[in-house]
Amino acid sequence: MAFNFSLSLTRHLRAAPRSAAKSRAATGWDRHRQRLFALGLAPALVVLAATTLAPAVYLVVTSLTPLTPVNPATAFDFSSPWQNYFSALTDARFLHSLWVQVQLSLVTVTMQLAVGLGLALLLDLPSRLIGALRTGFLLPMVLPPIVVAIVWKVLLTPDVSPLHHSLAAIGMPVHSLITNGGTALWAIAFADTWEWFPFTMLMLLAALQMVPREPIEAATIDGAGSLQMFWYVRLPYIRQALVVTAMFRLIDSIKAFPLIYILTDGGPARATEVTNYFAFIQTFNFSYWGYGSAIATLMVAGVLLLSLAINRLGTDGGVDH
Amino acid sequence: MAALTINMPTPARRRTHHRRALRRLAVQVFAIVLLIVTLAPLLWMVQMSFHPSTDVLSLTLVHPTLENYAALWTGRFPASFGNSLVASSVSTALALLTGVPAAYSLSRWRFRARRKVALWILATRMAPPIAFTIPFFLAYRYLHLFDTVTGLIIIYLTFNVPLVVWTMRAFFDGVPHALEEAAWTDGCDIWQAFWRITLPLSVPGLAATTILCFILSWNDFFFALILTRTKAMTAPVAIVNFMQYEGWEWGKIAAAGTLVMLPVVAFTFLVRAYLIQGLMAGGVKE
Repeated sequence: MAFNFSLSLTRHLRAAPRSAAKSRAATGWDRHRQRLFALGLAPALVVLAATTLAPAVYLVVTSLTPLTPVNPATAFDFSSPWQNYFSALTDARFLHSLWVQVQLSLVTVTMQLAVGLGLALLLDLPSRLIGALRTGFLLPMVLPPIVVAIVWKVLLTPDVSPLHHSLAAIGMPVHSLITNGGTALWAIAFADTWEWFPFTMLMLLAALQMVPREPIEAATIDGAGSLQMFWYVRLPYIRQALVVTAMFRLIDSIKAFPLIYILTDGGPARATEVTNYFAFIQTFNFSYWGYGSAIATLMVAGVLLLSLAINRLGTDGGVDH
Repeated sequence: MAALTINMPTPARRRTHHRRALRRLAVQVFAIVLLIVTLAPLLWMVQMSFHPSTDVLSLTLVHPTLENYAALWTGRFPASFGNSLVASSVSTALALLTGVPAAYSLSRWRFRARRKVALWILATRMAPPIAFTIPFFLAYRYLHLFDTVTGLIIIYLTFNVPLVVWTMRAFFDGVPHALEEAAWTDGCDIWQAFWRITLPLSVPGLAATTILCFILSWNDFFFALILTRTKAMTAPVAIVNFMQYEGWEWGKIAAAGTLVMLPVVAFTFLVRAYLIQGLMAGGVKE
């Protein structure tokens, strides 16, 4: 008994310092761990700061100057920092580019969602063949954009286009769509839809495959037609994915470049000159570096606002975690 | 007895089964036709590359030839192809080297600014390339990086590093923590446990991410168009040189286009499962 007691006492006595040592060791280990984690994170943050933050600051600073290569001293001319932004507000060409951008974005995002959703519904079948076909449908999205541009340049240039030749052969010749101000933007939108429907298809397929089986089976037993099945059973489950996919495409639609560069060069008569292309021309054709920077800064601001909206939509609906 | 009757193939049951099989077949046939129509424009460009230069404009391929490819081989195109290869692989390697440990830290370490770092990375992915191009263009003229492959490697990091961090973090989130924690108690430090346990389990994700980075860099047109002239010109930009005012060399354009897309198409079919995982995890970019 005494022996027992002393044993438990010594155990108790020994336990106290040991647990203190353990907790000290634990915090030491934690601190050590944190240092190691920070060490893993640091190189990437340094690279990111150098390649993204520094250029961003440089861009904004340049946007406050009238910088052109003709006069290097303009790099430090901050006498009227807001001049470029005021100019943009009254620049009809810039405002027009915004309008072209809005049209192009709305049309392409809508068409991509429609085509992508249609294909996703069609290809939502557990079958090896369908799986292989899905990969085929992905191709336009992974192709180099310059190749997409060439493919469509061939189709839309009457001299070489099999489409134009065939239509002429059956007595319905069509004038070039990309040199006509009324159709050029539609041609770009069509090509852009071809390039990017795989993205919406992929995202929506993933969402469709997350739809639980039970409601579908229940609806089948209740005799739901395929339209009803889509509208009342599947759509509610993929609505969130639709919104997020649309936002992603909306943001990326602002970056469209190679198609416009190769197909129309912003023409005819600026009919396809979106804001991105306008900034490109101002900066690299006219060398208005300060003005181009201001336009680019405005674009970044717009994109960041849209990203925040995505983040909110994503976290609210539980798509992101 | 009841079970027996349910399993018995009644005529009605057989009919719905037939109808379903027929419908499935119809869907598959329709999907095949749709795929052919969708990819027809691409196939047209490929067949165009085998046309002799004298009748590029004719619609039928009577005498297939490799002369367009031969003409590319003797010109400056192979050098630009080499530039593309070096810029894409080196940039991908550097992005993995810095991005993978960062992704792991972000996945496992709950620190205060974690959300801010994640947002920053997302914002970088969203920003329009022109916003990077202008400052890089101005800086490169002073740093003597204009028209160099090194310059391209650096600017490709602007999208490769965020891509690696973003996708690999998603993959690491999916690897159970229990194994690493067991390794820690066995005396491994964090990076040893990462190297021996988590990384081998994430090989599919790593493959997907590597391929995505390579494809994105390989596909780049905008950065290379602005930041290179002759020495460091990449293959996609070299194609533009065949589009002259005197007339477009359609045969060479088609052949060069076919060559540029070849690695990408090969990757897509070889590793499609990984690629799709990667595309989904990253929410992707062009």
